[in-house]
Amino acid sequence: MDMLINKKTVFTKTAFLFFILVLLGFRPDYGDSIVAGSIGEPRTLIPILASDSASGAICGLIYNGLVKYDKDLKLVSDLAENWEVSEDGLEITFYLRKNVRWHDGELFTARDVEFTYKSLIDPDVPTPYSGDFKMVKQFEVMDDYTARVIYREPFSPGLSSWGMNIMPRHLLEGEDLINTKFSRDPIGTGAYKFKLWKTGERVELVSNHDYFEGRPYINRYIYRIIPDQATLFLELRAEGVDYISLTPLQASRQTTNRFFNENFQKFNFPSFGYTYMGYNLKDPRFQDIKVRQAINYAVDKQEIIRGVLLGLGRISTGPFIPESWAYNKDVKPLEYDPDKARLLLQEAGWKDKDGDGILEKDGMKFSFTIITNQGNEQRKMTIEIMQRRLKQVGIDVKIKIIEWSAFVSEFINKRRFDAVLLGWGLGQDPDMYDIWHSSKTKEGEFNFVSYSNSEIDKLLLDGRETFDQKERAGIYHRIHEILYEEQPYLFLYVPDSLPIIHRRFKGIEVGAIGIGHDFIKWHVPRDEQRYTR
Amino acid sequence: MNKLMIFGFSIVLFFAIIAIFAPFIATHDPGKIDIENILTGPSREHLLGTDSLGRDLFSRMVFGARISLLVGFIAVGIAALIGITLGAIAGYYGKWVDIIIMRFVDIMLCFPTFFLILAVIALLEPSIINIMIIIGVTSWMGVARLIRAEILSLKERDFIYAEKAIGASDFRIISRHLIPNAMAPVLVSITLGIAAAILVESSLSFLGIGVQPPTPSWGNILSEGKSVMGAAWWMMLFPGLAIFITVLGYNLLGEGIREKLLRS
Repeated sequence: MDMLINKKTVFTKTAFLFFILVLLGFRPDYGDSIVAGSIGEPRTLIPILASDSASGAICGLIYNGLVKYDKDLKLVSDLAENWEVSEDGLEITFYLRKNVRWHDGELFTARDVEFTYKSLIDPDVPTPYSGDFKMVKQFEVMDDYTARVIYREPFSPGLSSWGMNIMPRHLLEGEDLINTKFSRDPIGTGAYKFKLWKTGERVELVSNHDYFEGRPYINRYIYRIIPDQATLFLELRAEGVDYISLTPLQASRQTTNRFFNENFQKFNFPSFGYTYMGYNLKDPRFQDIKVRQAINYAVDKQEIIRGVLLGLGRISTGPFIPESWAYNKDVKPLEYDPDKARLLLQEAGWKDKDGDGILEKDGMKFSFTIITNQGNEQRKMTIEIMQRRLKQVGIDVKIKIIEWSAFVSEFINKRRFDAVLLGWGLGQDPDMYDIWHSSKTKEGEFNFVSYSNSEIDKLLLDGRETFDQKERAGIYHRIHEILYEEQPYLFLYVPDSLPIIHRRFKGIEVGAIGIGHDFIKWHVPRDEQRYTR
Repeated sequence: MNKLMIFGFSIVLFFAIIAIFAPFIATHDPGKIDIENILTGPSREHLLGTDSLGRDLFSRMVFGARISLLVGFIAVGIAALIGITLGAIAGYYGKWVDIIIMRFVDIMLCFPTFFLILAVIALLEPSIINIMIIIGVTSWMGVARLIRAEILSLKERDFIYAEKAIGASDFRIISRHLIPNAMAPVLVSITLGIAAAILVESSLSFLGIGVQPPTPSWGNILSEGKSVMGAAWWMMLFPGLAIFITVLGYNLLGEGIREKLLRS
């Protein structure tokens, strides 16, 4: 009997305590700062001009689009409260949120959306994002909070393209977007307000207390620029930064000790991008599909992933990440098989006649140069591994590493290369018209390998005109299949994203999209806060 | 022979032997990738450890010595050739020839050499041959000045007048009598120049615009070492030491020769 009463009291007490905890824990504490470290300095904080990841990360906190992707890769409301797509897919009507204010206090209206749209299609504005918006036939402002977009043809990537950050008309109308002061002192509608930008040092943002989704818990976001991986890592160890992206080596060997386990939390999810080797298909040697297939057999992709990424990545057989609905799981990577490679090369007419270990055809040795950009150790190592493997089947590979701006302007844009090792970052929508369509091969355009296939051309257009995801999946699965069969790229790997964040930050949720989608919900309990200023 | 010279010379000789007999000294194929043994520390199997592709660091260092010495010698050879020729012409003919050549030397000296090299590499393509040529054509000015100064005094000596009197050609006088007699200080300058050239090559490779992978050079091994600094100390220590000791060796040798010349 005695026991029973005791048990009951304990239970009541526990329940009461639990209740209080729930009450207390219901609302996390405000305060503290997060210091993100990166090697890249943002180029501009005008979102339609920003194409580097540093600018993108900061713009994402300052601005909003009309729609955004949630953690499960579904399009949800952002500045647009909701929207309607017409039956034929030609019209989208956006109903905007009311009472959203810019950081300077002005009201946000459909005029701002119109202004952003007009800037995107302005031929004098050098934005890389104009493609999707040129598909728009007409943009109508119905009233202050309603806007209608009419497309020339059904355009399924249309809705997601309105994730583009919206810029304030009242501050930028009539300004020259390339030279405006605004690019270093921006005003947005987002969760964080711009405070300062010290070149080469840091960008500081403060939380927007009136944010329409609620005040973010973390008061300040500081983006520190430390242009060297090793130094950045030392800063992390000294706890001078809270949040960086690790290299595979740092993730698998340097952050496994007690200090890091106690003070940091590590995440691991596939990044939205893939690394490939692209052939210059204008080169007669690479026009032979057998040669491209032979190279695919001769390169051991698994070895590259284990050697370069220390296993923190996966084979990619096509231009999507394996988690995407567009990815065709029936396309299996070819096994590493040097004998098969030799056979295919022989069938293509490449034979080692003089016995020096290098194949010849019509008196020409099979020797080509792979170029890549400077500053990316992983790409350099990938080529070095491929070089050894290709040598084994009789192909001589040279490596050339070139500084980024010359790499793009002198080599990629002018098509002065045999083969190139690069990566593509991927959006959520699988449309990739700009990369594969045969009309996109002019100087400066993205089909720099000069790939041309009428079936692919047609499928790319079909993919844009189809709205049903199942139907679209079928189209992209076929594209995937053809691209793997024809090998205009040698698809290599999808690296993992390896962020590390200080332990005091709670509420970080990993979704299909990664982390950071719920950044305004991240918080630090009061007694663990560091920066109380 | 003084102590400095002997010490410097033995270092230089040591690395020269390593470079010449690299294939016999290396324990592994320097390009052999072994992804099972990435960044393993020094051991009996891998004397100095392995790099981020599992290649044997010792063997890469041994072959890297070849690159460093090759670049050092050929770059300085080019510099000496240009410097001696122009310096001798300027010193011997004097007058406006001298003025033009020496003002050109002054102009060349105005350029910050390293940045000039960076700019030229950006225009051309980084390769061992280009690097040797560029270092050569940007570092001959010191030699030219030294030779000119020596020849200015030598050409007033009696044996030169005698040579002229018997009708020897200018070319013969310069090449047979003036240059050989002016070589002593140039030798010092050349020795020190090799050290400088090795450093420049290492710096360029460290910045990723020197010797291109997979060819190992001390500079690019060091550069790779920097990116794995926290995980593999051997990747920075050994190439750093090799560069340091070699450069020290040539400098000591140069100083030794200078001291000897001063005494005699």
